[in-house]
Amino acid sequence: MTNIKIKSKNLNVYYGDKQALFDVNLDLNEKEVTALIGPSGCGKSTFIRCINRMNDVIDICKVTGNIEMDGMNINDKDLDVVSLREKVGMVFQKPNPFPKSIYDNISYGPKIHGKGETKSELDQIVEKSLKKSALWEEVKDRLDEPGTSLSGGQQQRLCIARAISVNPEVILMDEPCSALDPIATAKIEELIDELKKTYTIVIVTHSMAQAVRVSQKTGFFHLGKLIEVGKTEKIFKNPDNKMTQDYITGRFG
Amino acid sequence: MNIVLIFLITIFSISLFFYGKSKSKTISIKDNIKLNALPKFYGYYLVLWCSIPALVFLLVWSLFEPVIIKSIIIETAANQGATFNDKNEANLIYEKIKAIHLGTYFGDIDSILKESALAYAKFINLFTNSKVVLIFGIIIASVIYSLKKIKNNNKARDDVEVILKGLLFVSSLIAILTTIGIIFSLLFESIKFFSVINVFDYLFGTNWSPQRAFVRDASSITAAELEELKDAFGFIPLIAGTSFIAFIAMLVAVPIGLFSGIYMAEYASIKVRRISKPIIEILAGIPTVVYGFFAALTVGPFFRQIGENFGLTVSSESALAAGLIMGIMIIPYVSSLSDDVINSVPQSLRDGSYAVGATKSETIKQVVIPAALPGIIGSVLLAVSRAIGETMIVVMAAGLAANLTINPLESTTTITTQIVMILVGDQEFDSPKTQSAFALGLTLFIATLILNYIAQRAVKKYREKYD
Repeated sequence: MTNIKIKSKNLNVYYGDKQALFDVNLDLNEKEVTALIGPSGCGKSTFIRCINRMNDVIDICKVTGNIEMDGMNINDKDLDVVSLREKVGMVFQKPNPFPKSIYDNISYGPKIHGKGETKSELDQIVEKSLKKSALWEEVKDRLDEPGTSLSGGQQQRLCIARAISVNPEVILMDEPCSALDPIATAKIEELIDELKKTYTIVIVTHSMAQAVRVSQKTGFFHLGKLIEVGKTEKIFKNPDNKMTQDYITGRFG
Repeated sequence: MNIVLIFLITIFSISLFFYGKSKSKTISIKDNIKLNALPKFYGYYLVLWCSIPALVFLLVWSLFEPVIIKSIIIETAANQGATFNDKNEANLIYEKIKAIHLGTYFGDIDSILKESALAYAKFINLFTNSKVVLIFGIIIASVIYSLKKIKNNNKARDDVEVILKGLLFVSSLIAILTTIGIIFSLLFESIKFFSVINVFDYLFGTNWSPQRAFVRDASSITAAELEELKDAFGFIPLIAGTSFIAFIAMLVAVPIGLFSGIYMAEYASIKVRRISKPIIEILAGIPTVVYGFFAALTVGPFFRQIGENFGLTVSSESALAAGLIMGIMIIPYVSSLSDDVINSVPQSLRDGSYAVGATKSETIKQVVIPAALPGIIGSVLLAVSRAIGETMIVVMAAGLAANLTINPLESTTTITTQIVMILVGDQEFDSPKTQSAFALGLTLFIATLILNYIAQRAVKKYREKYD
């Protein structure tokens, strides 16, 4: 029996007057990949942005309901967002390396959290993160070059390295491969397979094939509602809901 | 006469517009032809044909008429027996003749002048009449030509486009030629100046006292005087004063402008932003002379008062007062430009930083500002060139004495102030003193040009990164 890492109960999200999520109840298992699928604007990204409170950045966004990580209420007003985000890393749709060197891109997070006080400790963190994100061999001789000089796929792996540099427990991935070519995508998927040994991963994707390849559990969102959630195999072979069936067979979306 | 002609041409063009429009409509209905262009294009077509040739002719005629009349009149006067030794005397006689014609000459009129004045009147009449006749001839010819085109030329649209393109081209040409003209006039006057004063004496001299050369013809300066003038035009105190005041201004403007830009871009709510941004930009709309008397009458004496309380001698015209006020004037430049560049840093970078747990100020300090830095540097450099070129505030608040000092409480002077001082009042145009203003202008121009160039390169480099 796997542990439940994150648990959402009756989660509602509003952007101003518009409601983006309706009573979402979704459990994410520890050290597993959960894929969220659904047509654009259905609330997948909104959901994962609740997990690391990224919605705070948007002024008009309001979150109600319950979302817990290891029993800790994420939605608590008094929660320290900084330490939450230390535990919950995020990778975005478009690779967004900082206009700094590769080394500084990775060491940015640890420095902020006061990890790696000496240079050699930092060096170790950078090396470990880059190795974990399977980028070390490609960049070890040019750590002082700008992160933006890497190719798209490398940039995305750099962003993954940046996310794991602070040693999180959960990694959120918001369509991490949508801006990448198939080869870079394959590398990232391979990496996700490797990372799930250590981290709980949530991935938003538009590619059904990708969801099948990388995830153990899949949730289908439509118009802000979680329509169906279950083992990936089951969702794609034998979904309970007609709408899920229609979506995965490409009848809409 | 010219105004009447222009007025007539305008009236005529406007009525032709409506005529052409309705005529092309009638033609297309009556003969059942589908004209290629909309009726209004035929209207424009007639307007352009009616006005441009006539106006161009009028312009050219007005440029050459006085020159031709003058040479004819001077020749007539010479034939009448007038004597003049050089060009200046000839000009004088011509002016006299003109004045007689206008009835504003009160000297003695001899027979030569009288005859010439009569001839002048005759020629003026002749020229004016032929001008009017020719212009009407041109208008009639071009209107007949263009009216004919309404029938069989279906390309009025294309022709109008071509003519409009030409007009726009001429406008930009005028702008460019004016710039070039200004540069050359600066250059030539400066060359005259540098033929008297050695370039190196100018560039590296530490003493600026141009009044020594007051009312002295460049041509009649003796060797001894030249020796005396050698160290009168030292540029160093001026560039030092200019840089010093600009530096004080930047000390004020950069932190305040940058911080307010950051606040506007990152922290202010939409509502606050909507109100406060225009208010800051009003600062840029205050005439500099207002800043100037504020600096001279309020801030300067205020500093002096404070200085006295501390037992310091503060000149009431101090570099500090001028620099401070200039800094305040420049704040909106820095703040609104840096606001813009900070705004154009992509949100995804901020998200990336927040996602690893950085706070807002950490994100701004370590991600946003470094990403926007080239743009911010560009905006600061633009502000610097504004500060260097600013005149009014320093004229009023910083004083006129060219002290080479780094004490902000003393008075200093700047390049622009000295140009004003040199050119105010009656001038002897070939005195080195007057010409030195052009040399200063040229130096200032080159300095700001270089700064602007660097600034624009910096801003451009920044743009390429994210677009």
